[in-house]
Amino acid sequence: MSDGMGDEKISILTERVLSRFKGREIDPKEVSKRLKLLIYEFKVPEEEAVRTVTNYLMKEFDITREEVAESPIRTISEITRAGEWVSVKAKVMQLWDAESPNLSQVGLAGDPTGIIKFVIWAKSRKPEVKEGKSYLFKNVVTDSFRGRMQINVNRNSDIIELDEDISLPPREIELIGALVAIQQNSGFIQRCSLCNRVLKKGVCAVHGKVEGYDDLRIKGVIDDGANYYEVILNQENIKALTGIGIEEAREIASEKLDREFVLAELKKRLLGYYFKIYGSKGSRYFLVRDIEFLSADIVSEANTILSEIDGLVKTAREETAEEGI
Amino acid sequence: MDILRREVAKRVFAYELSRSTHETSEGGERAPKYVLTPTGEKCNRIFMVGVLLEKEEVSPDSNFWRIRVSDPTGVVSGFVGRYQPEALEALLEIEPPEIVSIVAKLNMFQGETRRFLSIRPEAINISDRKNRDFWVIETAKRTLERIKKLEEDADDAKLALEIYNPDVGEYLEMVKRAVEAVREEAEAFRKEEGEVIKEDKEKEAEKIESKVEEIEEVGKIKAEPKTDAEELTLESFEVDDLDEFEFEEEEWDLSDILDEE
Repeated sequence: MSDGMGDEKISILTERVLSRFKGREIDPKEVSKRLKLLIYEFKVPEEEAVRTVTNYLMKEFDITREEVAESPIRTISEITRAGEWVSVKAKVMQLWDAESPNLSQVGLAGDPTGIIKFVIWAKSRKPEVKEGKSYLFKNVVTDSFRGRMQINVNRNSDIIELDEDISLPPREIELIGALVAIQQNSGFIQRCSLCNRVLKKGVCAVHGKVEGYDDLRIKGVIDDGANYYEVILNQENIKALTGIGIEEAREIASEKLDREFVLAELKKRLLGYYFKIYGSKGSRYFLVRDIEFLSADIVSEANTILSEIDGLVKTAREETAEEGI
Repeated sequence: MDILRREVAKRVFAYELSRSTHETSEGGERAPKYVLTPTGEKCNRIFMVGVLLEKEEVSPDSNFWRIRVSDPTGVVSGFVGRYQPEALEALLEIEPPEIVSIVAKLNMFQGETRRFLSIRPEAINISDRKNRDFWVIETAKRTLERIKKLEEDADDAKLALEIYNPDVGEYLEMVKRAVEAVREEAEAFRKEEGEVIKEDKEKEAEKIESKVEEIEEVGKIKAEPKTDAEELTLESFEVDDLDEFEFEEEEWDLSDILDEE
């Protein structure tokens, strides 16, 4: 099968392979031939064929992966296919607690075109990234997980901190709703000083019994009666809303001889109240930039509703009158 | 590993809740149950801010409490027991009457003459007037949305019409009563607050005047008294557009990596 379509596909894949060996004399025909053989004769999936040919070339020319020209820089919106080597400039928006010891860090990174999940494998041995900082994720592999694109950082990747601040997609929204639940692992928590995971009874899921450090956070649910949003409130959010910061939390905990008391106190001040929240929608969590207690003009809201009711009552009356005729 | 979608806490007035008798379920025995209300809300969970009127231990030392909660339209009753430890702990510290916020699941009981609904709080917390007022406003909006939908052909609305054949006028009247009640109170409060602001404003104006005089005396600037005092009057409240928080479907679902519990 070597129709026009197939040839075009092969030439695109050939270019992709060659783009990683810039400055080296490699015969495109040789690359195309190997790709054709793998894809059409042996029915190997395209991405595997590309990988195989790339590996062959590296071996043949005695090139290490690090030496291979860096993967093309892509914006997040351009990442639509799995299995590609790309480089992405993005800002780390949120780090999640990676439960598996195979994972070093997991989180969301964004650029002006979108947001993508990134996974840094423990085996990659990369220095840790920080929330709010921008990085060049060099030579990372795109992947599709449960229908969503993500980028995987492996041994051959590089994470280079950038001086520039990568801006995020302008999708900040305002949200009003009641805090209907505060979930487990909220309150005056301790985090692992090695990986920042939340400790459970002083034990880190990865590092075992470790020294922890104090932090305040609330994992909660904001509900507006039509939708719900899971939110995480950090130390600053909590302090701004309740006046309870790390210091105050320590005082409460030592006075009551119980860290859990802090959570009870936070619940009293926050649970069941309405909030106005500014932020953007992440994957599972709504990313809170700012949160405040709701302050609404009840009188004008009430007047709007009452005039709407008057309208509805009038229509209902007219309908009944018509039926009467 | 699918994450279980959380049930949204619906906003329904006590008057409407206490007239709900129909329970539906989607799927098998273990599927969640929903109470269908007369205006067509299907609820598994509710959120309300009202007044805890009474709490009463069903029998001595049973740790099983019966509560009655009211909003401007009516009363619902409920039970709190040891299976709702968070709510129970909170309830023990609250002395009625008190404004409370409640997140609750719903139960339908077969009484001697008819089925009646009771709430099973998951969370109770002391709340305040402002929060209660906004709940009434929000619940009024949601109820009006549902009443308008009764005319359309939506499934829940259709079923509600079949089962309850609700008198729309009656429910409009209910919403009106509730909204009027909080408006009256808010107006009274606004007056009080307004007076405080007015006093402050006058003081502020005096201050500015004396400052201006000072400056003019020094002869450096010929300023007009403005700024602070004016800004105070301009500081009107924002009206929040409830439509704004309806946005597109989940774009992401990476929950599996996120599960901490």
